[in-house]
Amino acid sequence: MSSQNLVRLTIDGKEVAVPPTKTAYDPQFKTHVEIPTTIYDAALEWSRQNNEPNPIPILCHREHVNPVAVCRVCVVDIGGRVLAPACYRPVEEGMQVRTSATSERVRDSVKTLLQLLVADQPPLNRSHHDGNELVALAQRFQVDNSPFPPPARERGRDDSSIVIAVDHDACILCDRCIRGCNEIRHNHVLGRMGKGYSARIAFDLDAPMGESSCVACGECMISCPTGALTFRRPVHADPWQGIQPPPEQVSAQVLARHPLFEGVSEQFLEWNQGSVVRRHFKKGEIICREGEFGYSAFYIEKGSVDIFIQSPLKHVKKSASKFNWGPFGLIRRFASSLVGRNEDQREEEGESRFIHIDAPVSLNYDNPVSTLGEGDIFGEMTCMSHYPRSATVRAATDCVVLEMLRNVLYILQRNKASRALLDQRYRERALDSHLRSVRIFSELLKDESRFNQFVEFLRGKDEKGDDRVELLRLPPGEVIFRQGDAADHFYLVRIGFVKVSQARPGGEDVLTYLGPGSYFGEIGLMSHIPEIRELAPPGVRIATCTALDHVDLVRINGETFYQVLEKFPEIKEQLIKVAVEHLHENEEKRNQVETVPLSEFLSQGLMNAQSLLVLDLERCTRCDECTKACADAHDGVTRLVREGLRFDKFLVASSCRSCLDPYCMVGCPVGSIRRRNSREIIIEDWCIGCGKCAENCPYGNINMHPFEQLVPDPIDPNRKIAVVQQKATMCDLCADLPDQQPSCVYACPHDAAFRMSGAEFRRRVETE
Amino acid sequence: MIIQELNAIQKRYGYLPAEELRALAMRINVPLHRIHEVASFYPLYHLKEPPIVDVKICRDMACHLHGSANLRGNLEGYGHELDEKQIRVEGVSCLGQCDHPVAVSINDCVYWGKTEDQLRSLIRVAYQREPLPRQQADRSPLGWKIDVYGGQPNYDAVRKFVADRDADGVIKALEIAGLRGMGGAGFPTFRKWSAVRGATSDEKYVVCNADESEPGTFKDRELLRRTPHLVIEGIIMAGLVTGAKKGWIYIRHEYHDELEAFEDALQQAQEMGVCGDHILGSDLSFPIDIFVSPGGYIQGEESALLEAMEDRRGEPRNKPPYPVFSGLYGKPTVINNVETLAWVPGILKNGGEWYRDSGTNGATGMRFVSISGDVNKPGVFEVPFGQTVRELLELAGGVRGRQALKAIAPSGPSGGFLPAKIPANQLPKGFIEAKSLPADRDFDILDLTLDLPTLASLESMLGAAFVVYGQQRDMVEQALNCVEFFRNESCGKCVPCRLGSQKLVDMIGEMLARRFDRSRLNAVEEVSTAMSITSICGLGQVASNPMTSVLKYFKEDLNRYFSAAVAGHSR
Repeated sequence: MSSQNLVRLTIDGKEVAVPPTKTAYDPQFKTHVEIPTTIYDAALEWSRQNNEPNPIPILCHREHVNPVAVCRVCVVDIGGRVLAPACYRPVEEGMQVRTSATSERVRDSVKTLLQLLVADQPPLNRSHHDGNELVALAQRFQVDNSPFPPPARERGRDDSSIVIAVDHDACILCDRCIRGCNEIRHNHVLGRMGKGYSARIAFDLDAPMGESSCVACGECMISCPTGALTFRRPVHADPWQGIQPPPEQVSAQVLARHPLFEGVSEQFLEWNQGSVVRRHFKKGEIICREGEFGYSAFYIEKGSVDIFIQSPLKHVKKSASKFNWGPFGLIRRFASSLVGRNEDQREEEGESRFIHIDAPVSLNYDNPVSTLGEGDIFGEMTCMSHYPRSATVRAATDCVVLEMLRNVLYILQRNKASRALLDQRYRERALDSHLRSVRIFSELLKDESRFNQFVEFLRGKDEKGDDRVELLRLPPGEVIFRQGDAADHFYLVRIGFVKVSQARPGGEDVLTYLGPGSYFGEIGLMSHIPEIRELAPPGVRIATCTALDHVDLVRINGETFYQVLEKFPEIKEQLIKVAVEHLHENEEKRNQVETVPLSEFLSQGLMNAQSLLVLDLERCTRCDECTKACADAHDGVTRLVREGLRFDKFLVASSCRSCLDPYCMVGCPVGSIRRRNSREIIIEDWCIGCGKCAENCPYGNINMHPFEQLVPDPIDPNRKIAVVQQKATMCDLCADLPDQQPSCVYACPHDAAFRMSGAEFRRRVETE
Repeated sequence: MIIQELNAIQKRYGYLPAEELRALAMRINVPLHRIHEVASFYPLYHLKEPPIVDVKICRDMACHLHGSANLRGNLEGYGHELDEKQIRVEGVSCLGQCDHPVAVSINDCVYWGKTEDQLRSLIRVAYQREPLPRQQADRSPLGWKIDVYGGQPNYDAVRKFVADRDADGVIKALEIAGLRGMGGAGFPTFRKWSAVRGATSDEKYVVCNADESEPGTFKDRELLRRTPHLVIEGIIMAGLVTGAKKGWIYIRHEYHDELEAFEDALQQAQEMGVCGDHILGSDLSFPIDIFVSPGGYIQGEESALLEAMEDRRGEPRNKPPYPVFSGLYGKPTVINNVETLAWVPGILKNGGEWYRDSGTNGATGMRFVSISGDVNKPGVFEVPFGQTVRELLELAGGVRGRQALKAIAPSGPSGGFLPAKIPANQLPKGFIEAKSLPADRDFDILDLTLDLPTLASLESMLGAAFVVYGQQRDMVEQALNCVEFFRNESCGKCVPCRLGSQKLVDMIGEMLARRFDRSRLNAVEEVSTAMSITSICGLGQVASNPMTSVLKYFKEDLNRYFSAAVAGHSR
């Protein structure tokens, strides 16, 4: 924060100066906004400066949520007829604030408010302290009983959830659970219902909690200041069942003293008892395997691990040998359809030298092995967003790791101290590897010392003393910036996926999904540069970027970015070149999109198809000859495994249609599926066969092929190991066969399979 | 969108079936809790299928004084005999028919001034699922001064503005007139308009607050029905002067006749081209739309009203920011009461001085007052500011049944009660000085001039409701009635109002049951103070006024309940 324009005010006679605004999260627009600094914020600063406890009590307010000012215990006297809520009222120059420490009016009011709240608490709740913030406040203000009558009737309990118990009588409607559920977790289950004295919290349409859409994340429980929401039993019965040897349970008390968990509420850890285990691995043991679906992340306490990709780095080659084409098309086999990059350099393929994995390092294509050590965390992306493991991890020495479930990782990412620890680790260790893996940097800075200069520059602090590189964690759906916003930062994607879209008449057009190793935001910052000036509006974002899942971004402020351009002209040149290419592509695409009438646009996938495979389901006897033929044409594995789109009595199987919104690209843990410049989808060599893209493709056009392979052990190149390797591939309509007749059509004995263009097909549907 | 959708669903099914709400959530892509929060907040909506006959009897102030509690008991008994399950009789907050008590709504059809027998036969009609006859109020103009066009839709001010675009002139006239908000707060109108006019924003709005729901207040009802064109012209002028994009009228759903009269007038105005696109063929545009309130007194609080318009629970916002800076959709917004806007055409036609100089006894301006309670001729009267209580009582035909006057409520329940005689030692210094009264003489309330500064110096309030209490009334019991109203209408957002209003009701209830010890009066005072200085909005801030005025002025009534008081309270 700059020291200019500070607002000066006094609190209980002592002066304090604070900036007029602060950054906060706006849950409605899912973006960060500048909001006024409040009296309570100023009181925090005041308390730091004077080394005195904060004189303003709070109950419904917490620093990490937006204020609602409903409990009113934070009221202060600022000279008006009525008192002002400190958590909400913006600071003003010259404001004279009197808190309960100096104002009798304030003290009496707060006392009365506490008496009102205490009067309605169930008798047991009134004295029971144990984390009950209301009781603690009542004690602080010496409210030991209430002069007000108790409630005439009980509001009742909700014990329908197996994990969280709801006691409506203890609820003070502070709104903290509601904000936790909706604004922090985005689960959108909890709300207030009814009105006045009979208002209470409710799940969905006032469903019992256990029957509601609640996912039992526990945020409401840890938000509750009065014990109206309490845990019934530890959440996870035994997530570690079947692991041998049984992992060592780590108690909440032990975790609370662990440096990684500093500042995490013990109540939370207690509730999540069993969600963190300590595991011991002997040298050579596998910790996790690529392609497996996991639910946990790992933190290395002792020792080191090798992290590598075991799959053969090869892609499925589409063009088959022409000699194999026989008259009946039934005895066709490919010797092997997997080819490596050295044998088959594909058109338009860049020389990506790095593979992004779910760890603070990236792997080199030529030698996909790296090492992680003490203090490193890996598997975050798998844990947060349920992606398959991106690499295999094996103990390089005997080692000790903490394995944790999503709830715990989530709280670590939100907890200041843990974040600081992980962020520092990133800057020290991962930044180098991360920058190397960003093509634009690694390719240009081939000179190692020059590259080190670059890393050191970014690792440092800027003139204001702030870190040049800032790590941001965003929840799914948060808008990073909108098209038309002023451009201020440059971003690198570390974990997760970012959707890049542009507004167009009638909706939005997804330009691309950016995964780990990508960067964005440079065009808006470079619009003063002549080459770009011609193509982009000045100083504003040309597209909207939104976090698609849990995203970690590296943010570099505009000032630093300009310094990079200045100090590293080779980067500048390349950035411009790529930006110009992108802008031209966008322009072309926009023209293309604009000329397609809306109705056709909606069915574009079909209308643009040159060659659709159509099955007439009325004639089809389900004899399965087509599937067999497909299998024979494709290395013994059928690609005709799913139903396609159905129109009337027709089933349409089609090859990849290069969707406008290529959802298949989302979630690839190693980023091996991507768009070529021609918008065609390509699957890179380092596909680990996890099947995520096949699962994501809404048209069933991606299938998984197992291939048996003998490959060199990446750890010990002298050994060869046998693996059955899955690789993704797509229905190609047998386009590579000489007569371009799909085998399935050819094989159909009932004349139920056809091949036709999109327009032909439409005529057919309309006439029949 | 949510509220309009809920209205449509309720219209189709008579209530809001859960499956429909689920479908709605999917359709408009909002979480279920968002829909339920709104649907469960507003009294208009039924979450369960309502019975065949849904009878609601007003329980507030004038209707209370005219035996609505008895009537309710009787009709409940009657409904019970007829069909226990399919006839529901319950209380409802003020329906705005205080001049014809008791007001009753049957299946959302409002009736006033009906005898118990008439109501019984209406219940029978409804029970047989036959159409209910509608009671319709007269729309004809009454020759009021405010009606400067004699009931005709002249729109002279709009015509003049389209020709000369003199926004400053309009604001100046309002400033000279000294026109203040007639909804109760009395904020100078020209300041609101010039603040919004001066605000830089891509969008601005005008909202006419026609959510008249304060017990004893029904003057906007008459203005909306008899002079809707004046209200429309006021809205248009606010829009043109401030450069607003759109105008709204937010009207309570129980005002069926008024809504119809306004709709008719608005259609006429649109046909004349004085609102909508290209006003009178010019480049000026200002459309007006109607928003029917899903119900609740709190919606009359301007920021709660905006919340309702934005599809949320109608809970007041924390202020600042005020609506003139951040109102509807966060944009600068003029929110004016019906009457405030209705005075605008007259002021612009006759000049600010015309309005300013029509006050009396040193006060400026005119106003409409709704008189109800223990008077012979309750109704709405156009009066100058500064008229005395005596003059008002004369207008309303004097106290009912030849009783002596016991108390008045000069602002409905909000301002508390003033006694017929204020003892000299109870008169605030500022009041004695302002009125240059002898320091040792009791003040006869009949001499009280009714204008904003005088009432403020008396530490009371001046609203549009003037409720009269005769000698027979027990003011503790009346205080309970008023505090119950606030309790019933509290939105529940903030602690002092939500809990304080309930605890006050409980404690006054104990008092009436002679179970309240005098030593606990402290608690009544403490909670009243806390409510008045820590509540978010005006409702909570005034909710304790009826009781504190009883503590201050009606000790005799109070003492009756302590003669046999038992110490301690059940705990």
